[in-house]
Amino acid sequence: MVTSVLEVRELSKRFGTNVAVDGLTFTARPGKVVGFLGPNGAGKTTTLRMLLGLTLPTSGTTTVNGRPYRELHDPVEQVGAVLEGPQFHPGRTGRNHLRVLAAAAGLPRSRVDEVLRLVELDGAGRKRVKGYSLGMRQRLSLASALLGDPRALVLDEPANGLDPQGIRWLRDFLRAQGADGRAVLVSSHVLAEISQTVDEVLVISRGRLVAQGSLDELTRGAEAPVWVRSPDTERLRAALSARDGVTAEPVHSGEGWLAVRGASLEEVGTTAAESGAVVYELYRPAQSLEAVFLELTGATEAGR
Amino acid sequence: MTRLVGAELLKLTTTRTFWGMAAAAVGLVLLIVVLSVALDTDPTEDNVRTIMATAGFSGVLTLVLGGVVGAGDYRHGTIAWTLLITPNRLRATAGQFVACGVAGLAIGAAAYALAAVIALPWLAGKDATFPPAGDLLEVFLGCVLYAGLAAMLGAGLGALLRNQVAAIVVVLVQIFVVDPSLAGLVPDIAPFTLTGLGAAMSGVDSDGDLLPAGVAALVWAGYAVLLAVLAAIHTARRDI
Repeated sequence: MVTSVLEVRELSKRFGTNVAVDGLTFTARPGKVVGFLGPNGAGKTTTLRMLLGLTLPTSGTTTVNGRPYRELHDPVEQVGAVLEGPQFHPGRTGRNHLRVLAAAAGLPRSRVDEVLRLVELDGAGRKRVKGYSLGMRQRLSLASALLGDPRALVLDEPANGLDPQGIRWLRDFLRAQGADGRAVLVSSHVLAEISQTVDEVLVISRGRLVAQGSLDELTRGAEAPVWVRSPDTERLRAALSARDGVTAEPVHSGEGWLAVRGASLEEVGTTAAESGAVVYELYRPAQSLEAVFLELTGATEAGR
Repeated sequence: MTRLVGAELLKLTTTRTFWGMAAAAVGLVLLIVVLSVALDTDPTEDNVRTIMATAGFSGVLTLVLGGVVGAGDYRHGTIAWTLLITPNRLRATAGQFVACGVAGLAIGAAAYALAAVIALPWLAGKDATFPPAGDLLEVFLGCVLYAGLAAMLGAGLGALLRNQVAAIVVVLVQIFVVDPSLAGLVPDIAPFTLTGLGAAMSGVDSDGDLLPAGVAALVWAGYAVLLAVLAAIHTARRDI
């Protein structure tokens, strides 16, 4: 089995004065599902299109198994791709769309029916694409990507337009692809869509990589504050602030709440007891990945 | 390259546009043939040859068809699929170029065959004087070649302009405005215009100062290849 490694090195792209991608470097390895995250306009699509040889980089390189996509002899067997907002000839049937691709790639026609079954479109294969829903078009795109049974998948916003059932199907699909040993690079601007599926995330904002790692690593780095509710916030706040490296700020959205950073739950409880402040509630909310994502990308977006 | 051409032919024949334009090309030829035969009271050898050369009119429509096909991948956004499978843009453009040529040849052949099936027995019934079979074969080859080369030129132009409407407008303006104007202003250029070359290949007008059919075909093929190469270079340098 041939494995595929997708590699992006010092990649930059300018459109006039606008820098869409700025010195991006990352790798996607076999057996891993890598989430490529960032808000709309962060440069995800441009990066993926450069990886697929559709857009020319201003500088830097992109390779599949060490070779630029444009130099691959049989690319469909190495990388399958889903582009954002997939486009088809409206008058051609889904099956014929796949037949054209299979013919160009030298694949047997039987493969067309196999991939249609795989994406559960076998019942609609003979319908013209203009009658397809957005979700069906996404599935047709995925079927196109899988035609050559590639060892890597590059999927740009594959969840766009999918209903909740479709998103669930996509998650299962991505997990299966990773488990099958494929390198999967999947972009999204909605973290929740793929957070349960990815092994690793790359977060970009304004064309730059702002975070990289496993989901655990990402959430660990940004620990949530301890929330404490007391009728005696002033005394408690003074006691907490007196400790080294601890800050306690009132939470404006809730009466009597303090958000404490730099202290554990136990330390906050002990400090409260020592100061004689009554505590009604004490907890640390789980830091959601979404919040980390917003924090990471928001900081860069604010710098625009 | 064979599989690329095969895929492009499949791409062509799996849309209604192709079949509609092919039917229009054949239908136009048949209409002119029927009118010509019906109105011809004294079908001489020259008249019979001219009537059969009407099949060359299919070339005008295959020229338009080529433009529609060449720009079609851009209009529908399917160019990305094409280039994902065939990243070498010269090969991708060449595949479509050749496929359009094959489709054009087939349309030209169908137009001529149907014209022959209808016109020849009818003309025989009118006691026409037939030219030698070799002459009719020459007209057949010229018309078919013209239809094929016209589709190729259209494909090159379409891929270069990337816009179907622009490709059709350019083709029609060239044939109906630029060619006659040039021929009027600089008669020496007339044989090298698309109209002059098309007429030379199909043998529609044997009176004018036209190039020999073979030379006309070569010149036309040169125009078509030039456009296709420009389109390939342009595509290779641009983001999709």
